[in-house]
Amino acid sequence: MEENNIILTIKSLSKYFGALKAVDEVSFEVKRGEILGLIGPNGAGKTTITNVVTGTYPKTSGSIIFEDTDISNLKPYQIARKGLTRTFQVVKPLIGMTVEENVLVGSLYGRDKRNTDMKNASKRAREIIKLVGLESKKDSLVSDITLPDLKKMEFARVLAMEPEVLFLDEVMAGLNPAEVEEASILVKRVRREKELTIVYIEHIMKAVMGISDRIVVLHHGRKIVEGTPQEVVNNSAVIEAYLGKRYAREVNNEG
Amino acid sequence: MLNHKKVNIFLLIIGIIIFIFLPHFVSGYWVRVITTIFMYAVISQGINLMSGYMGYLPFGNAMFFGVGAYITAIGMSKGLSFLAVLPLAALTAILVSILFGLPVLRLRGHYFAIATIGMSGALLSVVQNATEITGGAMGTTLPIIDKSPEVTYNYFYLAMLALMVITTLTIYLIIKSKFGFGIRSIKANEEAANSMGINTTYHKVIAWAISALFTSIAGALYAYWMSFIGPDEVFDIMIAVNTIVIMLIGGAGSILGPIIGAFVISLLSEVVWSTFLEYHLAVLGITIIIIVFFVPKGITGAIADFVKKRELRLRKKVSV
Repeated sequence: MEENNIILTIKSLSKYFGALKAVDEVSFEVKRGEILGLIGPNGAGKTTITNVVTGTYPKTSGSIIFEDTDISNLKPYQIARKGLTRTFQVVKPLIGMTVEENVLVGSLYGRDKRNTDMKNASKRAREIIKLVGLESKKDSLVSDITLPDLKKMEFARVLAMEPEVLFLDEVMAGLNPAEVEEASILVKRVRREKELTIVYIEHIMKAVMGISDRIVVLHHGRKIVEGTPQEVVNNSAVIEAYLGKRYAREVNNEG
Repeated sequence: MLNHKKVNIFLLIIGIIIFIFLPHFVSGYWVRVITTIFMYAVISQGINLMSGYMGYLPFGNAMFFGVGAYITAIGMSKGLSFLAVLPLAALTAILVSILFGLPVLRLRGHYFAIATIGMSGALLSVVQNATEITGGAMGTTLPIIDKSPEVTYNYFYLAMLALMVITTLTIYLIIKSKFGFGIRSIKANEEAANSMGINTTYHKVIAWAISALFTSIAGALYAYWMSFIGPDEVFDIMIAVNTIVIMLIGGAGSILGPIIGAFVISLLSEVVWSTFLEYHLAVLGITIIIIVFFVPKGITGAIADFVKKRELRLRKKVSV
């Protein structure tokens, strides 16, 4: 029973760029249905892990087990078809297409074994555009919409792929506090509705703490702590590496 | 919306009917000019699929034209009929595109364009030197159709028209399909496309094979039409350059762009040629620069912008 709950296992994963150990022997597990926060200061290796897990970069060593199969040698499109997908830290809209067409591509391709004829895919794309609240912009070209809307569009596009595990790479970057609040609510709601497992990579601490079930902290390419948000913020190694003493005090006072 | 679509289909059918009967009303010279325009439109359509929709500029696409022409010439000199040799020519071109495409389509942007030029040059060299099969640099002849020139020319006019219509329709249907969204995503952002579950290599290779298919049929028809071909002529890089210019002028990534571009460029070149005999290339070049400068999205792009602006203005008026 316990075993079945693990959907993604990362085992001693390393990624070196020459002499730089961007990711060094990192291991952690992702449970089905949870939101796992992946945090760490700049250069900790968060995005590199995302790139290796989703196949953009080849690994140096280690293994990535997704639903009982090792995916660490597959190409990005193969991994996406298995049901593991991502958003990009810097949004990558399909320029020259409308919002609806962007989401439609996600709906047409994405995970395997779905009914992907044009009619069904369009229907699914429109439903998801409605879900994220982009209906009024669906016929706009992606080059004509604002950053928050682009992020929503990208979120809609990966949802249309109907993944099981979703890596959200700094989706809050560039949003103001009100927009961060709105986005957090959206992510939580969608996770419930779609029964998604989310690996949530983030800089904005407040957003991570509020949304994650568990947190993995990286520093210089290594995992330093893993635990609940409360455990993590109270951990001295984390405070030293990342949060700073003042933040820790604030959290303690609030708690 | 549906009405709009019906009107468009109606207009297209009227256009095709006019072109079918046009040879009865113009001189033999113009029949040949318009046949060439159809041919350029077909080749340009193949480049449009690769470049206008997928973002890979195939500078060496003339090699498929050459392959189509030479397989037809060789097959017919061995006694095969044109219709028997045509599938063979198309198949060879598709094989060449897949063989070359698998390694070369890993390259992006200018690197891909330059690599295809190299391949085109390599094939030209092979054809020039395999004298026993291809006739070498001297060229080779094909059987002449035993009918009056007028009948022959009308026959090729109609065949080329049919090829242009079929090519355009096929590419239109491809673009509207799932595969079409796949290749448009590759143009927009290849990395994002890959991470969305699109097998980019497969899409690129198939798109180039489709491009090769239509280009090679145009080459086959051309060889039969001319009844004499030389390697420098059918592997000429200018075939690709001209059809790229045609696509840019007409409108890259627009289904009617290559056809409109082919007519505009060819008719322009006819006018310029008859007025400025000695400087016609210079005048034509400058004219093209001016067009690209003022209408960067091509003719269809400019029309689309104009319609959009007018609609916006009308909407503003209504809201005021």
